[in-house]
Amino acid sequence: MNTLLLLLAGFFLPLFPLSMVFNWVLARFTHPVIRILVILVWPQIGVLLLLAAGAPLTGSAFLWWGLLTAAFYAWRLLTVRELGQWSAMLATSAFALTWVMAADSGRAIDLHAFVLGFAVAPALLVAVTALLESRLGAAYAGLVTGMARDMPRLAGLIAVSLLAAMALPISPGFFAMVGLLLHSELAPVVMALLTWLLWSWAGTRLLRNTVFGPRSGKNVADLQPLHAWGFAVVIVAAVLMNLIWTGA
Amino acid sequence: MVKLQWLIPLLPVLSALLVHLLAGRLGKRVAQLSVGMGVVTFLVALWQIVVYIASDQGPSWMGIGASWGSVYLDPLSAIMALVVAGFSLIVHIYSVRYMAEEPGYARFFMLLDLMTAAILLFVTAGDLITLLIAWHLVSVMMYFLLGQNTESRPGERYAFWTFLTYRIGDLPMVLAAVVLFQAYGALDFPTLFDRLMADPEAEVFGMPAAITAAGLIAISAFAKSAQFPLHTWLPYTMDGPTPVSALMHAGIVNAGGIIINRFAPAFVNADGVLHLLFVVGLLTAVIGSVLMLTQNDIKKSLGYSTMGQMGFMIMECGVGAFSLAVFHLIAHGMFKATMFLSSGDLIGDARRHDDVPQNPLYTFLVDRKTGKATRLPWMAIGLVTLIVPLAILLLAHWAVSPDFFQKQGAIVLLFFGWITGVQVLFATHRLDATNPVRMMLMILLSFALIVIGYSIIGHTFETFLYPDAAFREALYHAAGLDAVTFDGLVILLGLIVLVGWIGSYLASREESLFGNRFTELRLTLYSLISRELYIADLYTRLSQSLLEGSKRINVWMRWR
Repeated sequence: MNTLLLLLAGFFLPLFPLSMVFNWVLARFTHPVIRILVILVWPQIGVLLLLAAGAPLTGSAFLWWGLLTAAFYAWRLLTVRELGQWSAMLATSAFALTWVMAADSGRAIDLHAFVLGFAVAPALLVAVTALLESRLGAAYAGLVTGMARDMPRLAGLIAVSLLAAMALPISPGFFAMVGLLLHSELAPVVMALLTWLLWSWAGTRLLRNTVFGPRSGKNVADLQPLHAWGFAVVIVAAVLMNLIWTGA
Repeated sequence: MVKLQWLIPLLPVLSALLVHLLAGRLGKRVAQLSVGMGVVTFLVALWQIVVYIASDQGPSWMGIGASWGSVYLDPLSAIMALVVAGFSLIVHIYSVRYMAEEPGYARFFMLLDLMTAAILLFVTAGDLITLLIAWHLVSVMMYFLLGQNTESRPGERYAFWTFLTYRIGDLPMVLAAVVLFQAYGALDFPTLFDRLMADPEAEVFGMPAAITAAGLIAISAFAKSAQFPLHTWLPYTMDGPTPVSALMHAGIVNAGGIIINRFAPAFVNADGVLHLLFVVGLLTAVIGSVLMLTQNDIKKSLGYSTMGQMGFMIMECGVGAFSLAVFHLIAHGMFKATMFLSSGDLIGDARRHDDVPQNPLYTFLVDRKTGKATRLPWMAIGLVTLIVPLAILLLAHWAVSPDFFQKQGAIVLLFFGWITGVQVLFATHRLDATNPVRMMLMILLSFALIVIGYSIIGHTFETFLYPDAAFREALYHAAGLDAVTFDGLVILLGLIVLVGWIGSYLASREESLFGNRFTELRLTLYSLISRELYIADLYTRLSQSLLEGSKRINVWMRWR
């Protein structure tokens, strides 16, 4: 194993405090397409570095470093209210779990599919952030509450994106998580489960302050039906491809 | 035959999709579409169980995926699919008018369909991954159904509580799946259970796989079935629409009993976990009942009543009476669904006729006014109260299964049945009646009918659900204790009940066993119970600390 390469991979499969670079990059670029590209490509570079360093990393301290980073960022997610920042921290937490996957599997295809599975939800959330910012000027939980009443399509999209972010069935994140857990040791499994629980908690806190609650904030136009269909097609395609990939 | 099993969860999904797509065009008529699909689902479930019983071929399994995605047709899935489809259909029909004035009418039916699909997938799942998907989806759908009124802050808050508790319960289930998969290398239930029964001593992570998996499944069941101390969400979920309360109290909360039955091959090899089920179930039943009695809010009181019933259900599993737990959850589901769904009519009736019935039963049960002291001889009442229920119970069970008394679990259940019977007679002996002998005879007759009916149906149900007599025997055996411990516990319980009766009798005469010595302790206990043991407050404090820590660290790190 090449430790230098592994440390370098720590920037791309974020390990705290190297993870601050990833979060800084995502905050630096405001254009949604660039942010989505960063979320999709950044961890794949990390996987390439991991493979070059010599995965699987059996018995490596990097496994626990990754786990602690994942749990740490999941805990921090609880009080983040800006959706763009939230998606960046979620991505950090999820990508850090790749180190657990790499402890067991050295197969390139498994690792690439794993990070891709976890990249779908943050990428979707970046798109939702852009939609909210274009309408409200900011994508901040609590700015506009009770969206389900007047903006059912946008509220539906936020709800589906957040459910995917919580890695709930049948999102790709769920299968990535279950695939990871089925092949891991006990202690990493318990730690990953705690991280998963924190994602759920953080996700519902965002739902409470956007989709649910008494209607407040300014009135803005709902998502156009055509755009809603576009998002639906993308989400269904991602789910179906993942179902086929996981062997359903 | 098993191919049709796929239709059972898929039909409600199709219904949800159609409701969503056609809501704009059909308006409120989408509800009829949803009900229509509910009828078809129910008929398919009915057909499946009839064909299953008639064909006598035994369980069958069918997968569509390479590694997961399968359904299982066995007695448990057949009966539960029918029950769930039936309850769901009733709730659908009820909601057509009940929800007509509420916002989000089409969304409600879509969510109801999706919830039905999730539960049906859960009961028919044929492998660990499919089961996990359904298990998680039940939590998600519950959250959205409870939050149907999206603008209600309390509704959303309690939906959030429920969701978070369910998530706490989901995760041990995932861990149990990991343990079983790593120990036995199979995801599909037939292979998994065969390997489990062939090698129950297998180890994983240095621990016995069957016991570990059973323990984790038990924790998961505790969260879904509101067992102490994971019960706090249940009494607060009444802010959701009444049909959702009915579906939850009649169906969803029973998930714990179903999952324990599904993994019976793990529990039969985990005697310690069965004892844990008994203790937690007993504790929940007692705490649920005590909290129910001290509530002044009728809805919360109903919630705690469900908690108590769920405690009994888990306790039944703990004594090895797995099939009885399923029978209990179906019976309780029917009872609770009727209560919730008829509540609107009762309120309407009360508004139209606000006079109270002036009969002895009403004044005894509601006004708590007892009549004059019984006119029957004291000794005769004592003997009838203690001996007759026991005789009825023993004879009824002996008639359906002469070897029933060999099982400790059966003794425990008979003991509880006896206590209940005695309690009924004890509570009603002061009921004012013109002919007390006739009244007592009618009560005894009702009790006998219930016990005989319950025994016959229960025994038939047991042989249907677990046709292998050796397996049934093994379940009771695993739940057993050594003779000395068992006898000691029975005597202890008997003494507690006896002291309770004496205390209750003295309290009715405004006397006390201990004078005023424990008044302060009793008041402390009462305030503790009236504050629901401060468990919800404890969780709130814990979550606030975690949130506070998270906020501080984020500010310190400038949100990077």
